Amino acid sequence: MADDITSRNVDDGGMPSRSTADTTSVISARGLTKRFGDRIAVDGLDLDVPRGVVAGFVGPNGAGKTTTMAMLLGLVRPTSGSAYVLGSPIDDASDFSRRVGALIETPAFYPHLTVEQNLHVLAITGRHGGSDIPGLLRLVGLAERGDDTYRTYSLGMKQRLGIAAALIGDPELLVLDEPSNGLDPQGMREMRELIERIARDDRTVLVSSHMLSELEQICDWLVLIDTGRSVYQGPAADFLADGAALAVAPQRSDDLDGLLRLVIGTGLTAQRNAERVIIPLRGRDRSDVAAQVNAAAFAAGLVLVEIAPVRDSLEQRYLSLVGTPAAEVASTNGATS
Amino acid sequence: MTNVIRAELYRLLRRRTLVIGGAVAIAFSILAAFSVFAAADSVGPRSVQGGTSLARLAASGGGTESFAVGASFASLLAFVSAIALIGNEFANGTFRSLALREPRRIRLIVGKFIGLLVVLAGLLLLAEVLTFVMSLLAAQWQDVPTGAWFSMAAIGDGFADFGSTFAGLAGWMVFGTFLAVVFRSVPIALAFGVAWAGPFENITVDSWSTGLRVFPGQVLRSVIAGGTTELGFSQAVLRASLYVVVAGVITLAVVARRDITS
Repeated sequence: MADDITSRNVDDGGMPSRSTADTTSVISARGLTKRFGDRIAVDGLDLDVPRGVVAGFVGPNGAGKTTTMAMLLGLVRPTSGSAYVLGSPIDDASDFSRRVGALIETPAFYPHLTVEQNLHVLAITGRHGGSDIPGLLRLVGLAERGDDTYRTYSLGMKQRLGIAAALIGDPELLVLDEPSNGLDPQGMREMRELIERIARDDRTVLVSSHMLSELEQICDWLVLIDTGRSVYQGPAADFLADGAALAVAPQRSDDLDGLLRLVIGTGLTAQRNAERVIIPLRGRDRSDVAAQVNAAAFAAGLVLVEIAPVRDSLEQRYLSLVGTPAAEVASTNGATS
Repeated sequence: MTNVIRAELYRLLRRRTLVIGGAVAIAFSILAAFSVFAAADSVGPRSVQGGTSLARLAASGGGTESFAVGASFASLLAFVSAIALIGNEFANGTFRSLALREPRRIRLIVGKFIGLLVVLAGLLLLAEVLTFVMSLLAAQWQDVPTGAWFSMAAIGDGFADFGSTFAGLAGWMVFGTFLAVVFRSVPIALAFGVAWAGPFENITVDSWSTGLRVFPGQVLRSVIAGGTTELGFSQAVLRASLYVVVAGVITLAVVARRDITS
């Protein structure tokens, strides 16, 4: 785990900065494994989620995201391995259940009760008698529909109600499993804004989603899994920075091949992409590389009209890491480009 | 566990539930009182097969006799209700939502069951009082004397009828909960439970009378009836307790150990 988890950068995500997070792990797991018969859903997963971050839990269908979350919350018993939530072992979830809110799989409520009554049932069950149910409904934009029965709710409203239910008792940790599932683009945007609002209160949020473009905008920590195993975990900025590059364009498109040869001749890696030459930074300082390329081009008599930073999207970085066919992810990710 | 019981009572004690429960209690009291008085024989004790005698109706316990006899027929309602209420918790995912708030699953399922029993007790009390009132009318219709119904002994008989009926219906609800938990599907649990408690047991005992003393449903009927010619009350309670304990232990073990994946 990183010693210092820097806040999301305004330049990177266009979001307000958050303070540097505490380094204490809110969730930690070692060798967490779950077998269902012959099938291994989660395979020796090591996991660390620091306090105060919005952690994106990313993986393709069947990667083990929901099973992992269910194990962390005491719904599913691990086959082997150990895990701690808020410092308590998951063997007895009652040690931390009052400090954790969760939405796992689809929201589930009593259809004939009003949504306020449904939230009261959960509040009483969780010994959160003094919960501000109307306030929670206001937070998720359902204040006007509190007296309606759950069965009359649309899918988007049900998802928001699920978030309200998870917030009962003002939990330190929020675990959200595919909260944008089934929502239209407008609903997804509203859900993203809601999660951003919720995360402002120094709350740790672990959110799984296929909607990588949505996660990219709200997460400052990433946990990537594939076939039940962790393939990356750490600051989102670091993960995305690995995909940073410079796009360089000459004044005349006829000079593109010459520019490419020139850049490669300076010892950099580069490739042609439409009307630009793309130079992956691979940890090098962006300004140094830009200066190096600019100087070489000037010396060769090439006029550059663009030297711009570019960055792989989370989806591109994820696919390059796990090698999942683009079509497979695209089919579950209508919002990504 | 009190939190779960309170939550369950908050959920169940809604106007809709109370209206339906009240309507069922009224319908039950009318049907039970008039059908039992109409079908009463001049002699003979209670039988698992149902019915009572005019002599028993005229005795101190006569005012609540219809309630006790009729309740054995209401057992199917309790059985089906338990399957539907508990089974839907698993099928619809609400048990999962509640388990996130109360991870101690034994407390959760037992608390919910106690909540159901509290509501059952309230409805039974209402039904017993209403049946007593309806029995007064039915007694006039059948010329059955009611003087003994207002004695101190009648109060004791009323409590006894309430206790045996409550115990019997609670047993049915344990069986219903057992099937709901094991199958986690309301249609499958209902199909299995109704087929067993209805056609299978009743057809079998027609040709094998021992079944009246062995089958769980028949044993519970004897408990509700306060003992029958086929099976005395204490024996019925003993056997019913055995069945209920086995079903209860399996239910709790399944709830505690099985992953909550839906």
